[in-house]
Amino acid sequence: MARYIVGKLLQMLFTLWVILTVLFFLFRLGLPDPTVALVTDGLSPEDRAIVTERFGLDRSLPMQYVMYLGNVLTGEFGRSFHYNAPVTAIVGERVANTLILMLPAILISYTVGPLLGVLLAWKRGSKLEAGGITTGLVFRSAPMFWVGMLLIMFFGIQLGWFPTSGMRTFPYEAANFFDKIFTLDFLHHLILPTIVISLYYTGLPMLIMRNTMLEVMGEDFIEFAEARGLSKARIMYRHAARNALLPVVTQAAITAGLAVGGQVVVEVVFSWPGLGLEMFNAVRTSDYPLAQAAFMLMATIILLLNFAADIVYGKLDPRVSYSSQGAGV
Amino acid sequence: MRELFLLLWRSITEDRLATFGVIVVVLLVTVALFAPLLATHDPYAMTERVEGTALWVRGERVSIEEGIAADTLYSVSADGPENYIAAGAGGAVVRYEEGSWSDIETPTTETLRAISAAGGRSITVGHNGTVLWYTDGEFEQVDVPSSADLFGVSLTDDGTALAVGEDGTVLHLDDGRWTVIEVPVARDLTAVALIAPDYGYAVGARGTLLRFNGADFEEVASPTFRDLLNVTFYDRSAGYAVGERGTVLRYRDGEWSEEQGALTRTLRSIAMVSAEEVQVVGTHGDMMRRVDGTWQQVATGYSRHFRGITSDGETTVVVGTDPYINSLARPSADHFFGTTHNGRDIYSQVIHGSRTALLVGFVAAVMVTVIGTNVGLFSGYLRGRTDNVLMRIVDIMYALPLEPFAMVLVLLWRPGIHIIILAVGLLTWRTTARIIRSQVLSLADRPFVKAARIAGASPLRIIYKHIAPNVLPLAFLQLAVAMAFAITAEATLSFLGLGPPRLYSWGTILHQARLSGAWRTAWWWVVPPGLLIMLSVVSVFFISRALEVIANPRLSRR
Repeated sequence: MARYIVGKLLQMLFTLWVILTVLFFLFRLGLPDPTVALVTDGLSPEDRAIVTERFGLDRSLPMQYVMYLGNVLTGEFGRSFHYNAPVTAIVGERVANTLILMLPAILISYTVGPLLGVLLAWKRGSKLEAGGITTGLVFRSAPMFWVGMLLIMFFGIQLGWFPTSGMRTFPYEAANFFDKIFTLDFLHHLILPTIVISLYYTGLPMLIMRNTMLEVMGEDFIEFAEARGLSKARIMYRHAARNALLPVVTQAAITAGLAVGGQVVVEVVFSWPGLGLEMFNAVRTSDYPLAQAAFMLMATIILLLNFAADIVYGKLDPRVSYSSQGAGV
Repeated sequence: MRELFLLLWRSITEDRLATFGVIVVVLLVTVALFAPLLATHDPYAMTERVEGTALWVRGERVSIEEGIAADTLYSVSADGPENYIAAGAGGAVVRYEEGSWSDIETPTTETLRAISAAGGRSITVGHNGTVLWYTDGEFEQVDVPSSADLFGVSLTDDGTALAVGEDGTVLHLDDGRWTVIEVPVARDLTAVALIAPDYGYAVGARGTLLRFNGADFEEVASPTFRDLLNVTFYDRSAGYAVGERGTVLRYRDGEWSEEQGALTRTLRSIAMVSAEEVQVVGTHGDMMRRVDGTWQQVATGYSRHFRGITSDGETTVVVGTDPYINSLARPSADHFFGTTHNGRDIYSQVIHGSRTALLVGFVAAVMVTVIGTNVGLFSGYLRGRTDNVLMRIVDIMYALPLEPFAMVLVLLWRPGIHIIILAVGLLTWRTTARIIRSQVLSLADRPFVKAARIAGASPLRIIYKHIAPNVLPLAFLQLAVAMAFAITAEATLSFLGLGPPRLYSWGTILHQARLSGAWRTAWWWVVPPGLLIMLSVVSVFFISRALEVIANPRLSRR
């Protein structure tokens, strides 16, 4: 078990290193003059010298690369042009804002989705199944930003039931992050974006669950359970579902990756002050250090979530031997 | 191959949703191909609207009443307290009575350029010698001895009237008889003011001023050479004329003199409440008022052209309007999906947008499928180190979030359609690669592959000649899935403003709606493009579900 985890961890660090490298060369390729990417225009010559020194901009490219890795490791991403503040200080809270929006929504999707999937498999051939599949596909086809716009228009503006932007109603005072989110006002702001994300992501686990359930239901142990006279609900949810969960977990890991990217549009539509919105603004204002840091953080979040899913996967599936790298997912 | 097509045909026609999907996709492709023919407007053109408008000025309060007539109103006249009558293009006449405007039927469709009300009657004149009398609530066409375009008319309480028009045309109504009066100029006459049967003035092009003495006209020395467009008299000794480029002429005790106005654009109409209280309106929402001997601009807050004004001192009514930008119009027969904040036709944008969506979707999907299938083939057949390296790359691809990756590309280069295709194509082949690989893994041990290997076929030959045909159905399924994903991705990235700014796609339309801020209320701007994204993606999903049965025969057994 420990070897499996360490292996996955090493794999994750390797991936992170590759991404950092790709990012470094991508920026060098796009911006032949790296000072542009790190030094804002209005900087005094002294400050310019400090930045040049810290990032080794006067040295050779390999040396710059090494210093870049060192800076990333120590959390030194430079100063944001737009905020004129260290990037690390800005993105810290944004990460929390993003996670507090994303994780509950994904959790809802991957709880409700599989449960509905079991129901669909159970009611195979019925109108409910056909309707459920179609609905799931339709929600997966509607772009999140568009659903968000519609919900804001209808429930936010027309009916006035929900706030249409941000995490809290201004002005508000909060000593720290938890002070900010443990309020009804925050929950009120959270509802619409959560619905948008959940609607989009529920369809996939539902359909996957249904498909695997149908496969599992043909297996012997289900017939045994039926022969033992267990109730249909018990067979479905206790016996079959447990064995059909694996592909859903695999998909959860992939979805986490997609969600971090897809989050951007939701944050933009709802003006949610998360990492995605920050990245969006950084791109608009050509704030290179901020954009770079935001991207790295997003990639890191995806890797961590994938890592977590790998661990869960390993726990769930006895067939996964911890000694192998489990290349085939 | 024939069998495969038959199977394909059967599985699609048997599945109602897949049939629906195919129909929608065929329709969308047709729309994209014939977009320029189907679009009713130029998607970039700011469409304009012409509509008769009334502007009310009561004391300091200014308010606008839109859509009181279907076309431009040229002139307004008071025919009683709080009673107004206005005439305009297309023979339209509207009357304000008891607090609301109503259309009055006229026997003409000619443009009516001027209306004058006096003593309970009205007379209106227009193009091609049109003269209409309004008595007892009904219009009646009058035969006049001229077919020239008439631009101005003035009616006195006792029933005499003058009408003026192109090339020095003057018609005189006296004792119920219309006669032509010869005048010493051949220039266009634009307006006339008759305050008594024997006293009036007509004005016209190039500063023309003509005095009327009851029988004929005499040219008066004019202080301007600019075109004069209107004239009004309060009494015999006080009058005003206005014209091009802010020209204001004042008449006092037999003398015309030029006055310094407060506006510089074309002035169209004058209202005199007394000898000193005067208001003037003009193009582009211009309005000015004479206060204590000097002209002061009145801010109306509107930019539409004003054509006619009448005032009793307390209430002022201004009519007019030329084409103005048809901003945020609701869906109508003219604009099926309404218009944007700068008057662009959303229906045409959506039609044109289908091209971008399908093109980007298809190109990116082909790219994804080609890369993904090849990676899957090599990874699955060669195994070992190649497989390991390729699958690590796939893992890395899964860690790169698509939207932020595209944003980095745009940050470093420039927004464009190639960035979107590149981002989708470079990142999302990962799923295809995994799926094809697992299929190839099971194929690689089949006897026919082993036989080929023993016969000495090279790995390349085995991969492309023997294995590839067997994964082709699965690759096509992945093409469909990739296409659905690419369409969504294109829309999403364009919505974030990462697409080409001058090329419409469904995402770009929504991006502009968001930028304008109008999307919160203008549902007609938001619903259609999103609906089409949803429709095209769900159709591809429906089709791919039917394809799944062919690609994955295990499913069909059940």
